[in-house]
Amino acid sequence: MDGVSSLLDGFATAITPINLLYAFIGVLLGTAIGVLPGIGPAMTIALLLPITVSLEPTQAFIMFAGIYYGGMYGGSTTSILLNTPGESASVVTAIEGNLMAKRGRGAAALATAAIGSFVAGTIGTLALALLAPVIVKLAVQMGAPDYFAVMVLAFIAVTTVLGSSMVRGLASLGVGLLIGTIGIDPTSGQQRLTFGIPELADGIDVVVLAVGLFAVGEALWVAAHLRRAPVEVIGVSNVRMTRDDWRRSWKPWLRGTAIGFPFGAVPAGGAEIPTFLSYAVEKKLTKHPEDFGNGAIEGVAGPEATNNASAAGGLVPLLTLGIPTTATAAVMLGAFQTYGIQPGPRLLDTQATLVWGLIASLFIGNVILLALNLPLATVWARLLRIPRPYLYAGILFFASIGAYAANNSTFDLWLLLVIGLLGFLMRRYGLPVVPAIIGIILGPAAEKQLRRALQISNGELGGLYNTWFSRAVYAVIVILLVAPPLIRWIRSRRDAGGTPIAQHHANVEGQ
Amino acid sequence: MPIVVGYVPTPEGRAAFDRAIEEARLRGLRLVVVNASRGDALVDPRYATSDDWASVRDRLAESGIEHETAQQVAAVDPADQLLRVAHEANAELIVIGLRPRSPVGKFILGSSAQTVLLQAECPVLAVKAAPL
Amino acid sequence: MSSTAPARKGGRSEFGVALLLLALGVWAIVDALGLSDLASRGPVSAKTVPIVVGGLLIAMAVLLAVDLLRGGRGEAEGGEDVDLSHGADWRTIGLLVAAFAANALLIERLGWPVSGAILFFGTTFALGSRRFVLNALISVGLSVGTWYLFNLALGIPLPVGILKGIL
Repeated sequence: MDGVSSLLDGFATAITPINLLYAFIGVLLGTAIGVLPGIGPAMTIALLLPITVSLEPTQAFIMFAGIYYGGMYGGSTTSILLNTPGESASVVTAIEGNLMAKRGRGAAALATAAIGSFVAGTIGTLALALLAPVIVKLAVQMGAPDYFAVMVLAFIAVTTVLGSSMVRGLASLGVGLLIGTIGIDPTSGQQRLTFGIPELADGIDVVVLAVGLFAVGEALWVAAHLRRAPVEVIGVSNVRMTRDDWRRSWKPWLRGTAIGFPFGAVPAGGAEIPTFLSYAVEKKLTKHPEDFGNGAIEGVAGPEATNNASAAGGLVPLLTLGIPTTATAAVMLGAFQTYGIQPGPRLLDTQATLVWGLIASLFIGNVILLALNLPLATVWARLLRIPRPYLYAGILFFASIGAYAANNSTFDLWLLLVIGLLGFLMRRYGLPVVPAIIGIILGPAAEKQLRRALQISNGELGGLYNTWFSRAVYAVIVILLVAPPLIRWIRSRRDAGGTPIAQHHANVEGQ
Repeated sequence: MPIVVGYVPTPEGRAAFDRAIEEARLRGLRLVVVNASRGDALVDPRYATSDDWASVRDRLAESGIEHETAQQVAAVDPADQLLRVAHEANAELIVIGLRPRSPVGKFILGSSAQTVLLQAECPVLAVKAAPL
Repeated sequence: MSSTAPARKGGRSEFGVALLLLALGVWAIVDALGLSDLASRGPVSAKTVPIVVGGLLIAMAVLLAVDLLRGGRGEAEGGEDVDLSHGADWRTIGLLVAAFAANALLIERLGWPVSGAILFFGTTFALGSRRFVLNALISVGLSVGTWYLFNLALGIPLPVGILKGIL
């Protein structure tokens, strides 16, 4: 079958010593970053972009993918051993995981997280490998209106699902779209939003934007609100699980994978919703309900698997359609653009070595990650002792190199500062950053599709929804926009009717 | 006029703590136990965990001497925090733990013990960890 | 699971956000209106997207203002390293921005090895570290080291400034 032989070719690429080296560096970096507070895979990839420009794209992307997966592993270590969770996707792991650690079962928690991540990552990557060619075959039939519809879906989904305020999400998206428009319009050659400044004619470099929003913005924000009291780390010795732990974990691993992968593959499924869903499922299905709230291993096994499966799932739309579903995916898309590679259905053909080498190295990366995290989890936790001044000084330092090196221009450094301040303001006033980065990176592509669609239809607006696919997608968009306020309205009606009855019952019972 | 001890959950810190209890008993003085951190890093091994701090309090209760504990985080080096507490409490004696540091190490990394020794307003008792 | 208290304080300044959004939206539309209709077919031209985005921003500015008047507040982003119970530490931010600006100003005049070291040192100072000797050593080591790394190993030249000839 097509996919299998390409995958085997991919392994041939991935096993070359130099690519193995990059995979190793990637997962090493990814784990370290996952453990450290305040730094995330998106920021790291952005910071590495200028350095990797001189590398072969295959090697760079193998490294990025390693960072992407590694971040998941590192984040779970922090959330289990500390009283505070790392990445937001690890919030759920922290619930039961930290409780387990407090009861001296940290070793089992770490083990089930690592092995679960491995299982999910491997199955997820396999699903990616099998699905990608299939989706690409379907996607090739997609026309400009279909693409445009999917991109609009990506925009809307990321603003409605993430965060609580749709207004702010859309505002952030708007800012991102605006920034993406700065530069020369490719069709008409006119300058847009550039104030006539020549350096802006090419638009703002992806590196400057990603680094500014994620690295500089984050550093400035944290600097203004440094947490003071140190947090306790729970010590753990050899990481292992008992047979009973295995028995209780393997089904949650599989269920978690099944839940995480589809959510990751869909625009703005993100990783928070599926992990909470997995937690709820495991709580319902467990044979040890008394353990939940006291350190239930299923509560770690399921969500951790979900986490990693969703990361694998996120690569599906990115590699097959060129649609990013998370901030990290958006930065990787930006990386593709920097190399002049256009992701989309043709990517699998035009860059077969890159894509299949990437997927194959993900399998290898998962193995390395398991080996890195199982015995070394507590060693990684030592990274947390690095004083923050050095961490954030390092971030700003490398951010500055990256921004300057992108175009050898001081102007970019000032831009970086402005974008960084923007990132700071967004964090201060609750404007989510993810819609902005997706708007920035996907905006220009969406515009291209829009204008192409209308050119094909000769200016008829109906040309935007003249295929069944685009109509279906727009229907989903409408549902997404209308559902939350509708649900809220229904709930408020229901509560208003229900409360007096509930109160009455309470009064009666309370006597 | 109490005795102030800088506690750290390390062998020399515990040695200092033990010695401080002895001194307080000998002299019939109140003992103030300080565990300080800069809060610089997310994890600080020199900041006592809640279990550890609880056992410190237990030992103080058992010892029968008058005592006070202070676990704090401030934007200042722990040595300076200790000196501040000692100054405010009008301490009669400061007890600290001493760990071996090479001259180069002291130059580059600084030495809390040195800071306390040189800037204290009262006598300082520096205690080494009990030999293994 | 620890939670950080949402910072819902003094929302007046948040109106500034609405104002900013409004300004951005207006700018987008004004700039777009100055464009011509070259090479466009039908209703969509180079102007369209900026105008639509501008409209979106203005609409959101209005809705945000409405939300603020109703008492809604943007929830400041929490995180494991962030303690939201105090206000923002402006002094630290100011120092960070100063360190960053120093690098931007000096990088081409004095070269990266110097300006980068100033940046790193300034940042550690701004964030509270007082180990001056150690920080100075690390700063210089990093700036010189990365200069070599980028110039020689990666082929990306960083300005060498006054140290020309020495490095």
